[in-house]
Amino acid sequence: MLKTYINSTIFFFKQIRKTIFLNLFNTIITLLIILLISVASIHAFKWLIFKANWKVVISNLPLYAFGSFPPDEQWRPATWIISLLLLSIFTLCGPEWRWLRKNLLIVWLGTIPLGLYLLYGGLGLSPIMSRHWGGLTLTILLTVFSSLLSLPLGIVLALCRQSSLPLTQKVSSIYIDVMRAIPLIAVLFFGQLLIPLFLPLGMEIDRVWRAIFAFTLFVSAYIAEDIRGGLQSIPNTQIEAANSLGLNQYQIIQFILIPQALRIALPALTNQSIGLFQNTSLMAILGLVELLGIGRSILANPEFIGQYIEVYVWLACVYWIVCTIMAVLARHLEKRMTINQANF
Amino acid sequence: MEPIVVAKNLTKSYTKGLRALDNVSLTVDKGKVLVVMGPSGSGKSTLIRTFNGLETFDKGEINILGIKVDSTHDERKIQKIRRRVGMVFQQFNLFPHLSILENITLAPIHVQKRRQIEAEEYGMYLLSQMGIDSHAKKYPIQLSGGEQQRVAIARALALKPELLLFDEPTSALDPERINEVLDAMRTLAEQGMTMIVVTHEIGFAKDVSDQVLFMDSGKVVETSPPNIFFSNARHERSRKFLNQLDKH
Repeated sequence: MLKTYINSTIFFFKQIRKTIFLNLFNTIITLLIILLISVASIHAFKWLIFKANWKVVISNLPLYAFGSFPPDEQWRPATWIISLLLLSIFTLCGPEWRWLRKNLLIVWLGTIPLGLYLLYGGLGLSPIMSRHWGGLTLTILLTVFSSLLSLPLGIVLALCRQSSLPLTQKVSSIYIDVMRAIPLIAVLFFGQLLIPLFLPLGMEIDRVWRAIFAFTLFVSAYIAEDIRGGLQSIPNTQIEAANSLGLNQYQIIQFILIPQALRIALPALTNQSIGLFQNTSLMAILGLVELLGIGRSILANPEFIGQYIEVYVWLACVYWIVCTIMAVLARHLEKRMTINQANF
Repeated sequence: MEPIVVAKNLTKSYTKGLRALDNVSLTVDKGKVLVVMGPSGSGKSTLIRTFNGLETFDKGEINILGIKVDSTHDERKIQKIRRRVGMVFQQFNLFPHLSILENITLAPIHVQKRRQIEAEEYGMYLLSQMGIDSHAKKYPIQLSGGEQQRVAIARALALKPELLLFDEPTSALDPERINEVLDAMRTLAEQGMTMIVVTHEIGFAKDVSDQVLFMDSGKVVETSPPNIFFSNARHERSRKFLNQLDKH
């Protein structure tokens, strides 16, 4: 262990000499860049420690996390977020018991009704309207539900696009192409402003769900294309083999095509969900107080006026942390599927 | 003798007027082994693939296990045939995302609606027959070509078929792996399985087959018992083909 470490260190320095200190010109460039980086980091460090006033962050932590959720009930979203975090850590570092690993997916899916129950209340908890949801809780909620709904829709769209029925094929192609040609913000506007006009009188979908549906409609088009890529890489001989075994069309889709296509599309799907997580911040413009929205409304408070750098640096950190957790989890899932299926 | 496969005047043309099948007729009786030989492009794969509906045809009729299919390609009848006819492919075509045992039990569980335990037991029995039961938990990529092909045979057998189709089952294998697959097929023939085998393996054809059907450009050139075909073929075209094979 130690020996390989020393060897790799020596190799590292040799590599450095060979690449960035090769001649006078390279050395000057290297030193200049090092100077630039150090000046920038010293200033950043100075600002972080001495100039920045972190009161705007520290005194508002519950707001960032839960928005205007009633203070007495804030343990509910807190429980949800902490249970997601613990489950993530457990998935990454937990023991390798077979039965446990097999059922981990069910536990993950279980966090969804748990989240809904904790946020909405009812059945012993006091009910809370969705307009009180906010902060990181709302951001995570938008991400989880949008990706969860857009995955099946995306699969269906991809299958329709591959279908031999001309009408199905055309409708799905047009849908995908149109959705990919419209900017996300337009789809979100549509969801917030136009959906209520189309619904019959008396029927109402609250704003959070309208946002989730808009995200779902948009993201599913992209997911469909990712999955179509997976489907196309499955050789036709697989389908012939399944046919010759007497499996019908639906069974072939369920047992042969979807599992393989999902495995192949997994890296692309990870990208989509991380992108989706970041795109939820667009809802700040449309009046939902998710993480970015709460930042903006805190900045509108006269007490904290002008402290936008602190707030945005802090928000960037939170987004970065959550994205990193998502990426690490996805890599873990990828690796596990590769082990299980021996890297076909 | 009860015929399992009766094909009458099968014809299939491609758009350019090329004929993949040209008036092909044949009969295979229960428990018999028919070997189909011919140069590449002669239509032998196309022929064998019409028997379980993987290929359509334009004219003629086939009767498999009493189920008649004509050029309308009735999907329901073909499904019925597929449940009773197994097929083994040149490239094995195992499902890479399923374990060996899952490959074998997939169709029994979902097509024949058998219980999982029962299907697994029978699957393990078939794997031990093929001498590869120790690999049941592995995935296809972890096995050699010969082992994969034996899994493919076990998978075809799992539906307890009354007819087995082999489409060049040894052509994609390393030379030293060919025999393990041929031996498995020999055992099946001895157990009385009805088989149609597209192959270039003369030794196998000589020992195991009851009839050899020789095709060229979509036509049946001749159908003879193996002792006649390999020693004294009736047609000049067959003799030329056998000469070519011998040289390799």
